[in-house]
Order: sequence, then C-alpha cells, then structure tokens
Amino acid sequence: MAGDEDQGWQQETSRKSRREQRRDDNDYDDDEPDFNDPPSYVDDIDDEELLGDLLKRRPKETDGIESVIVVDNVPCVGAERLDKLQNVIRKIFNKFGKIQTEHFPKESDGKTKGYIFLEYQSPEEALEAVKNTNGYKLDRQHTFIVNMFSDFEKYAAVTEEWEQPEIQPYKDHGNLLHWLLDPHDYDQFSVIYEGGDRTAIITNSVPEPTVLEERPRWTETYVRWSPKGTLLATFHQRGIALWGGETFKQISRFSHTGVQLIDFSPCEKYLVSFSPVPDNRDDPQAVIIWDIRSGMKKRGFHCENASVWPIFKWSHDGRYFARMASDSISVYETPSFGLLDKKSIKVQNLQEFMWSPSDNMLAYWRPGEGDRPAAVTLMKIPSRDAVCVKNFFQVADIKMHWQRSGDHLCVKVDRFKTKKEEKDGVKYLGITHNFSIFRIREKEIPVDTVDVKAENIMAFAWEPVGTKFAFIHGEAPRICVSFYNIKKAGHVEHLNTLEKRQANHLFWSPNGRFIVLAGLRTMSGVLEFVDTLDMTVMATTEHFMASDVEWDPTGRYVATAVSYWAYKVDNAYWLWNFQGKILHKQQMEKFCQILWRPRPPSLLTPEHITEIKKNMKKYNARFAVEDKMRESKVSKEQIEARKLMNEEWNTWRAQCAAHYASEKEERLALRRGIDTDDIEGHVENFEEETIEFLVKVEETILDE
Amino acid sequence: MKPLMLHGHDRALTQIKYNREGDLLFSCAKDSHPNVWYSINGERLGTFEGHGGAVWCIDVDWDTSKVMTGSADNTCRLWDCSTGVQLEQFDTRSAVRTCGFSYSGQLLMYTTDSTMGQKCEMRIYDSRDSAQIKNNEPMMVLPMPASKVTSAVWGPLDQTVISGHENGNIIQWDMKEGEMVHKVLDHSKQINDIQFSKDMTMFITASKDNTAKLFDTQTLTHKKTYKTERPVNSAAVSPLKPHVILGGGQEAMDVTTTSTRIGKFDARLFNLIFAEEFGRIKGHFGPINTVAFQPDGRGYSSGGEDGYIRLHQFDSQYFEFDIEY
Repeated sequence: MAGDEDQGWQQETSRKSRREQRRDDNDYDDDEPDFNDPPSYVDDIDDEELLGDLLKRRPKETDGIESVIVVDNVPCVGAERLDKLQNVIRKIFNKFGKIQTEHFPKESDGKTKGYIFLEYQSPEEALEAVKNTNGYKLDRQHTFIVNMFSDFEKYAAVTEEWEQPEIQPYKDHGNLLHWLLDPHDYDQFSVIYEGGDRTAIITNSVPEPTVLEERPRWTETYVRWSPKGTLLATFHQRGIALWGGETFKQISRFSHTGVQLIDFSPCEKYLVSFSPVPDNRDDPQAVIIWDIRSGMKKRGFHCENASVWPIFKWSHDGRYFARMASDSISVYETPSFGLLDKKSIKVQNLQEFMWSPSDNMLAYWRPGEGDRPAAVTLMKIPSRDAVCVKNFFQVADIKMHWQRSGDHLCVKVDRFKTKKEEKDGVKYLGITHNFSIFRIREKEIPVDTVDVKAENIMAFAWEPVGTKFAFIHGEAPRICVSFYNIKKAGHVEHLNTLEKRQANHLFWSPNGRFIVLAGLRTMSGVLEFVDTLDMTVMATTEHFMASDVEWDPTGRYVATAVSYWAYKVDNAYWLWNFQGKILHKQQMEKFCQILWRPRPPSLLTPEHITEIKKNMKKYNARFAVEDKMRESKVSKEQIEARKLMNEEWNTWRAQCAAHYASEKEERLALRRGIDTDDIEGHVENFEEETIEFLVKVEETILDE
Repeated sequence: MKPLMLHGHDRALTQIKYNREGDLLFSCAKDSHPNVWYSINGERLGTFEGHGGAVWCIDVDWDTSKVMTGSADNTCRLWDCSTGVQLEQFDTRSAVRTCGFSYSGQLLMYTTDSTMGQKCEMRIYDSRDSAQIKNNEPMMVLPMPASKVTSAVWGPLDQTVISGHENGNIIQWDMKEGEMVHKVLDHSKQINDIQFSKDMTMFITASKDNTAKLFDTQTLTHKKTYKTERPVNSAAVSPLKPHVILGGGQEAMDVTTTSTRIGKFDARLFNLIFAEEFGRIKGHFGPINTVAFQPDGRGYSSGGEDGYIRLHQFDSQYFEFDIEY
C-alpha cells in the first residue's frame, strides 16, 4: 500500500512541475510548445532503439567505394594525349556499365600517374569489370591490373613478414597396400547388390569367396577402383569419397555436387571428376582435377559435352593430360596444370587421339578432305615432333588400338569404293577393311598392312602381353573370330579363324595367351575359353544372359555377371578359372556390379620372373598341397556340419516316431480298424482287381 | 526313364493327388473337368463332369471311395469315385480355393475366397450327420478375417486343420473347439501349397517367396528351408528317401516372353535334412503348379501351367545317390 501511495505522489509532483514549467515558458513565447524533458526525466531510450532503421541508412564515408575500381598499369601520358587515353579507357570499361566518375591522378608535371579510378553505378557492374578486365592486354607493355577499390584495405593489411603456414598433423591411414600382403595372394573384388543399396568387398579365397567388408549405402551409384587398386571411390550427391587401408577407412573426400563420372590419373596422384550441374561461367566446375593426397582442387574446366568419357586422357606416367577440342588437342602438364607451351596442337578436322600406353606419345587421325588423304600421326610430347605420319586414301573410318606394351599400334582402316552425298550425311559403299600395324620400337616406325578378307569387324583386341591380336567379324549367324600374330620384321601370321561363333566381345587374359570369347546380352551369355598358344578351345559354356566379363588382375580367374542394370532376373556373378571351369556361382538379390581390385605392377625383376617360371613345378607341388589341405578342411567342415545336422534331425525324428506310434490306436479307430500305416501293411484288406489294358494291336491276315 | 505325358486338360493344372495306394492319380485344372488316371500307364479312367468353372482343388478319401472338388463356379462337390456320379453339392458365395477329407474321411473341409464382397471362410461338415449337408448347415464355420486361405489340409487324427495364408501365415486350428492353436510367420509371401510327410509328423510348405519350408506338425516349429530363385508353387516330401521335390517357376505374367530357361520350370530335388539341391528335372513349358510323390516313393508326378501332367519313374541312379556325411 505504501508503495502505491509513493508512486501516486510522484506522478502528482511531476504533473505539477510540468504545469509549472509550461506556465514559465508561456511567459516567454506563447506559440512554442515545450518539448524539453523535465529535469527529473531519465533518458533510458537510446537512438538505436528509437530510430535504428534510419541510422542504418545513414551515409557512410565508404559509401560508393564498392562501385569504384582501380586500374593499374595504365600508360603514363602527358596532357596532350590524355583525351585519347580517356577515350580508350571508356571504350574498354563502358561495356560493363555506365562510368559515373573517372579520376586520372597526375604528377606535378601533368603526366598521368599510371593508375586510374573509375566509378560505376553499382558494385555489381564494378565486379563484372574487374573480372573481365583484370589481365587485359592493352598493348605489349601494358597489361591492366584491375581491382576493387574496396579490396585495397584487404591487400594493404597483408603483413610484410611471411608467415609459415601451420603444419597440418600427419594423418596415418595405415598401410594402404595392406591387401597385397595377403599370405595366399588372394585377390579382392567389389560387388554392389540389392539394386545399389549394399556394397561388399570380397576376397576370392579358395575354395569359397569370403566377405571382407560389407556396408549398406556405401555408394549412391557405383564404385570404382583406382588404377593400381589402392583406393576405392564411392559416388555421392555431394561428391566423391575415397576409401582404403586395411579396414576401408575414408581416406579423403572431394566435394563436387552432382558428380557422375570420375577418372584417375594412371599414377593415382590425381582424380578427375565430372558433374552435369549447371556451370558457373567464371569458375569452371563441370570438370575438376583434384590432388588425391592433399585433397586440393588443382583446376576446374568447362565441359560442354560429357558424352565422351574420359574427357581428359592421361599419359601413362600422369605427367600430361589432354582433351580434344574443335580442330585441336589441348595438352596440359602436371603439376602446373597449365596448357603445355601455352597453346593447343592444331589439327584440322581432328577425329580421335590416344596416348601411347608406355610413352609420352600421341596418336591421332583426321579424315581426308578434297585431294588431301586421311592421315594418322604419331607425335612426341612435349617436343611436338611428328615422328610418323601415314596417309590413307578413300577412308570411311579409322579406329586406333594401342597394344598395352606400346610396341605396336594397330589402325583399322575402313576404305570405300564409292562415296555418295546424301541428305543425312555421306554414305559409303563397298567398304573393305584392313589393318595397318605401326611398329613403334623400330627405326622410323615401319607400317605394315594386313589385308583381311573380313566383313563387318565388330571387336578388336590386342593380347595385353605378347604379339597376337584377335577380332570378331562377319554377319550373324556366320560370325568368326580370327587370330593373327606379329612376327619379326613385320611378318603378320594368320593363326586361326574360329567360325560360326556366338561372340560379340573379346576378353584377353591380362597376362596374354588365354582369351574369352563372349556373346553378351543379346547373344544370351555364351562363353568360350581359348588357349591361343595352340588355338585349342578349352571350354564352351554359358552364363545365361551374362552382361559382363571381368578377368582378375592375375589372369587366374574370370568373373561373369548378370547385372541388375542390364537384366532384372537371375542376377548373379559366377567365378571360373582361366580354363573355363566353373568354381563358384553366387546368386545375389539385385546384384549390379562386380569389379576386381587392380594390382600395381609386379616389383619382381624380369630375371626373377624367369627364375620363378623355371621352377614352376616346385611351386606347383607346394601350392597344390596347400589347396588340397584347404579343400579337405572345408569338405571336412561340411561333413562335420552335415553330421551334426543329421544328429539333430534324428533326435527330432525319434520323438516324432514315438509320438506317431503312440497314436496308433486312435488311427486304427478312425479307419474302421484297418491299419493303413503302410501300403503293404494290410494285405488282408487288399481287394484283388483285374484291370485289362490294351497293350498291342496285331493284325494277322489268315489264309483262306 | 521317359515320363508319361498326360494331356487330358485344356488348361493349366491346379492340383494333382494320388490315392493312398498310389494306383490312381486325381487331377484338376482351370478347365472344369477333373480327371482320374491309372498311374501305372497313364490311361484315363474317367472325368467328373458337372463343374462350370476352374477347379482349384481336389481330394480323395483314404479308401478311395469319395472324391471332393472345389471350384470357381462357387460350388464344392462330392463325387462317387468308382462311378463318377455327383453325390453332393455345396453352394458357396465365392470360389472354393481348398478342400479336403479328414484322416477318417468323415469330416469335410473347404475354404472360400474373399472375393465379390465375401469374406474368406473355412467350413467343416460331418458326413455322418446327413442333415448338415442337406441343409447346408456346417458343423463349424471359421471366419478368416486377417488374410485369405490359399492352402489348407487336415492334420492327423481329424483333430486339426493347418492353413496357409496369402500373407505367409501358417495357422493350426483345433477342430474340436474351433480355435487357433499356433500361428507362425516364417514365409514372407503367399503359401501356395502344404503337403504332409507320410506319417504326418511334419509338413512342407511352398511359397511365392521362392522357398519351401519344413515344419513340425505338432508345434509348427520351422525346421528346414529349401531355397530357389523362383516362386515355389508346390512341394512334396518323399515317403521313401530323405528327399523333397519342389515345383514352380517364373510366373507367366511376370515375364512377357518367358523362355523355359529364364523361367526355370524345372522340378528340383533337395536333400530333406541338409537342404542341398542335388537334381533338376526338366520338361514343362511353363511353371509347375503342383507336384506329388507316388506313395511308394519310386516316382512322382507334376502338373504344369502348360496343361500337361508328367508322370515320372525314378532311374536306378536316383536310388543309388547319397550325400556324404
């Protein structure tokens, strides 16, 4: 109560004092109302609260700075040429917006200082101008350096002292080559199944593969191994993740929204990723090259057309990478990621180029034009010496195939007899094929032509190690597979032609000699295992509706698969040995993809390898014993398991039998006392019945 | 040995059954004429004429005196086996999916489909009380509210019925009290068939979930699983060897151009105890809808979507083969 009284009193007094004041003011000026605070008024409202919105719009000293750009390296001119300079400057910079003000600072002698200030209407225009004119070459001596005026503070604040960057703590990923230490030299493969929901790494152990690692939703689309098998790449909406080491821990991540395709450099140093997400014109994002170890983005590229992947082809050692542009090949070098010699290799009407798999050498071809013949060129990089140019006449198409060792290049040339210009393009008639073999290792690269009397060549494949090549030709159902061998001095020997085969793909063993002829997809999965040493067909078999064939990196095993991506039922992968003997059939729900983990090249010297080959028998015996032991161990385990199962079964069946026996009386009662427990068990109840069947009809004509 | 091919049906077979002695084979199909055949030579003994729709199920009693059939014409009929004369007709409000005689042959059971606004029901009649059949007043009506019955058989001693359901449930019913005793869910899809072993202490189920499973009759405990890659339509336990036979295959409606190879229309033989597949028998040009072991275990028959019944006698190799353990 006392408090209320207090307040009441205070209000009363303040009202009174105001009235008094007003009276006082009135004494001086009747029209002016009094806005002064009473003496007792405590001002507890600050300006911010009262008119914060207005304060925010209060002009600042830096206002307008955002629209100002500074152009450096402008020619220094005297007053007489200032007009001309200003005209030139305006012409360049008016493209990005109207210049509001310009300022050309001058020395005391009237010459300009070599830098100018330009103000645009908006910061956006200024930014656009900076982006487009920074580095603009006015002439030989003057290259503009253009900056936002507002950035000057930032640049000024850079300390003079160089600060050593903080050393990032070393992250130990364990031994990334752990899988190579497997005592049995088992290889691994990745499988994706359940329509992509599950991914597993499986060891191809004898006699049954074993699952090493299995994770749900490891990848959103598919996986890829790096070329030497060290890392596994998984695809995600936000980018790529790389996994490796003993337990498949995440090694690094590359953020690239919407990534769809990737490619590794052969040295496993760089990763190229592609995303079709709309590109930013000034900051290329479509194709990004990353440094795998550091996780840094090395360079981005625009990409108009990703239908050809990989867009960048890497040289064998990862030193160069190149892409095809219109009428040119752009070769880039690492680690600078700049264009080699700052210019592309101009090739009129370039069709295709390929790196040699063993040397820094490019092969490319262009079609003929008018009287000029088509040509295949071999060019050394970085010297750009064309070491070989071979002309071909009347060419409809050319396909190039490098042998993996880089010793030979096979060029398949399709020649035409007549050419017809039609509305929807050129039509070639009377096509004949031949192969031109370039012997790269020999002086001046001799070229031999192999005439093959073959039509409709569907597939070509070099033996990866060795000198043979094979190709599929002919029209169904007369499809043939021919084998040739390159001998010394360019003599090409026809080894054999297997006729009337069901094949549309060729798969050489990575070690050569053995080849699988496969009729995939439309040919319903016919497989033929051939030993090309003596051209024997070791096995003709089938994995019905197979869509993929994959040799393991050692050439010991072949995996065939019916992928869910190709075919919706019976998705499975089967493992065969190189002779075409089935080893394992693995049915998997919505199985999608099988990929063998690649192996890096062997560290053994050639001498070492020959020695091992010489002592093969000794090793053979040892491994045979090991295999047998493992097998007998498994079959023993299986038999043990069966024994156990059988015991359990017998116990249960004994109970059943006892129960059954105990119900005998009831059964008899229900069936009028007739024992029907056995068919033969109630002979007394049998009813003899005679049924007549017509067995045979015989007609005999009797003599009268 | 080359099987006997019986082509007495115009349409897909739905069920085949041997009588107890194994001299006769009863078959029904989506045509309306159930047949009976001599199993020894495949000669047709006769047909049961009267149905006006697909016949889904057939059963014969233990002394081969009566035959029971259930049809999509909304009737279940009782026939005299020796003459082929229709004895009784039960009119229902929807298709009859399963039917069966009890151990004694005195109790009859059939189930109806939950179509045309009708609920699935199981009806039991006692043939000793002639009024039940005459007035169509069953001894017991069990409503099946949850999931419709797709397969049902009498258990041992007239006491129980075991039903398989569209959702994969298997339920054991006490026929004295009309109560559910056990209910298990080991299959993930529809149960297509239930068949007992010879002594009725265990039974095998065939399911659309690509497996067949073996259960203990008393407890409905799941004992074994026989896995395939295709829906299993029918499965049977050999009365002679520890074997089971499975029939099924890709449903014709799932594949537009089903070659026999993709469809996998083979009958498959599995070891009963180890659940390992050891043989396949080719022949049908469509899924196998029903299989039955000859009661002596020396052969089996299969009825397919292709309209054929194939009567097989096992070769001597079959009897010599054993899995090592």
